[in-house]
Amino acid sequence: MASADQPKSGLPGVKLSKAGVMSFLSAQGILIFFLLGMLAFSLFSEQFLSQSNIMTVIRQASIIGIIAIGVTVVIIGGNLDLSVGSMLSFSTVLVVDLHDKIGPTNAILLMFAFTLMIGAVNGFLIGFLRLNSLIVTLAMLSAIQGLVLIYSGGQNVDIADQEGTWFAFFGRGYLGGIAVPILLFGLLAIVVQIVMSRTGYGRRIFAVGGNPMAAVYSGIRKNWCVFSTYLISAFCVACAALVLGSRVMGSQNNVGQGYELLVLAGIILGGTSLLGGAGSIWKTVIGVLMLGFIQNGLLLMGYPYYTQWIVTWVIIILAVWLDLANKRKSLFTTHS
Amino acid sequence: MFNKTAIAASVIMMSITTAQAQDTYRIGITQNNVGVDSYQTTYESAFEAAAEKAGNVDIVVLDAGGDVARQIGQVRNLIQQQMDAIIIWPTNGQAVIPAIRQAHNAGIPVIVTNSKIAEAGLEFISAFSGPDNVQQGISSAEMMCDALGGEGKVVQISGQPGYTTALERATGFEKRLPEVCPDVELVETQPGNWNRERAQRVMEDFLTKYDQIDGVYSGDDNMGVGALNAAKGAGRADEIIFIGATNFAVGYDAIERGEYYGSIYQSPVDDAEAALQTALDVLAGKELPKMNFFETPKITAENLEEFDRPVF
Repeated sequence: MASADQPKSGLPGVKLSKAGVMSFLSAQGILIFFLLGMLAFSLFSEQFLSQSNIMTVIRQASIIGIIAIGVTVVIIGGNLDLSVGSMLSFSTVLVVDLHDKIGPTNAILLMFAFTLMIGAVNGFLIGFLRLNSLIVTLAMLSAIQGLVLIYSGGQNVDIADQEGTWFAFFGRGYLGGIAVPILLFGLLAIVVQIVMSRTGYGRRIFAVGGNPMAAVYSGIRKNWCVFSTYLISAFCVACAALVLGSRVMGSQNNVGQGYELLVLAGIILGGTSLLGGAGSIWKTVIGVLMLGFIQNGLLLMGYPYYTQWIVTWVIIILAVWLDLANKRKSLFTTHS
Repeated sequence: MFNKTAIAASVIMMSITTAQAQDTYRIGITQNNVGVDSYQTTYESAFEAAAEKAGNVDIVVLDAGGDVARQIGQVRNLIQQQMDAIIIWPTNGQAVIPAIRQAHNAGIPVIVTNSKIAEAGLEFISAFSGPDNVQQGISSAEMMCDALGGEGKVVQISGQPGYTTALERATGFEKRLPEVCPDVELVETQPGNWNRERAQRVMEDFLTKYDQIDGVYSGDDNMGVGALNAAKGAGRADEIIFIGATNFAVGYDAIERGEYYGSIYQSPVDDAEAALQTALDVLAGKELPKMNFFETPKITAENLEEFDRPVF
């Protein structure tokens, strides 16, 4: 399935030489590290590998995961989106606040419309005006945070009838025994992965992110491609807001604060390059799940959640290093 | 008129004379961040109402918008305007101390409201007025003990690490619980960051980790409702006692529904009125303790009707 990024991953295939094994280890090092970590956690906590815990972790990770799918597309297209955290705050506050005022259906529709509008503004500024995506979305991050505060006046918003509304389906419901957030996460991952790896549109995004000049000369409308990636990102944020609002049945202004970095951490852990033109949704799914299991495992072992930040840092450095080592076929540089 | 002669004489003299007898006091207040949450918004209007009611007070109401630099500027401004007293809701317990010292040196009494300032600044203020968060933790521990009947396993979801309020509540709870209920065990504490979603996640993990949880103490009701959500999702809400602090509207409603055992009622109106009263007492020359705490009573289903539903 990961055909799209095959040229960059450098897997050694079936060669069983010593160099081949080394190369395999460094290419898959992060996955091996992950499995070892899982093993360690399961030794310290008997609940860690229980089915209910695994389901809990995936459900918890699905909000970050849904957003990360969209951001992965933006990154493959050669840009960044740092505004997703504030956007999540905005969209969640909006859908929860409107739920009691205009009913769930209208609230959801309006929330999607407004979120996509923010995505369109990002996309226009970056795709058509060619402004730097880091700056545009960083500015958008604080602008939207201000917008949320103006909209809510600092109030927490809540849904009054938590038991009676069908809005509960998205965050708390089950279909065939599987939690709806997990299903939504899985469905989005599959659809976007297929779009990215099997369609002309997906190939154009890879081309634009990998070699923008060549992409333009081969007739790809780069502006529209970049623009569309921000719509996808906004759409994913809106889906995540649906899950989050329904799960909590309320929202506060800063609910998504810091999510942009968690999302990026998941993407980097998975191994998608921040330089664009490479990567896959599968990698992101694995990265996000890793983050979730690390957090859960540490908590089950009794460490406070912020130890996770240190552990994540170590793993990210390791991931980036192994990725680089794989590309240059050596763990250390041979000349200074 | 009286005021003007006092200024002409000396700034320090003024504060002495105003303390003796004066028709109208001029009090300036610089608040932390009005509009960021409804507690602070309500506080402001309650403060204005209280001043109106007191009659003999002219107030200058300022808001720092959460910005330390702006707040320091506002304090200097109030010093320039020769206020009789300055009330400050510190944006930062450390950084505002130099400005407070300036007011002190200018002979203007400073009253700190709601959030404490660092130890080093205490010598420059006349009084502090606000909630006693250690006592809140103590009250919550007592409620937990009552509700559990003296036995059980409890988990704690605390506020943001590094926040004085979070630390003080946890300290009070952890100290008091073994005193009143030696057989109730606090099995684990995790921070929930004042964030309902985070608290919900933490509680989900607790529910996985522990087969027996009899009580949850949350640093505020916002997080407490997150914990309740998680327990409901796992079908274990009925077997767990939920106790919070800073009663939010959602917590109030949950107590009413019988899902939530109790909380601590902390009213922004009481907070504002206490601050003004403390300032007036200081100006009237009354002997006050440095720390003045307003009442933050326990609230459970039994006395729910005595309290208004919180506005936040």
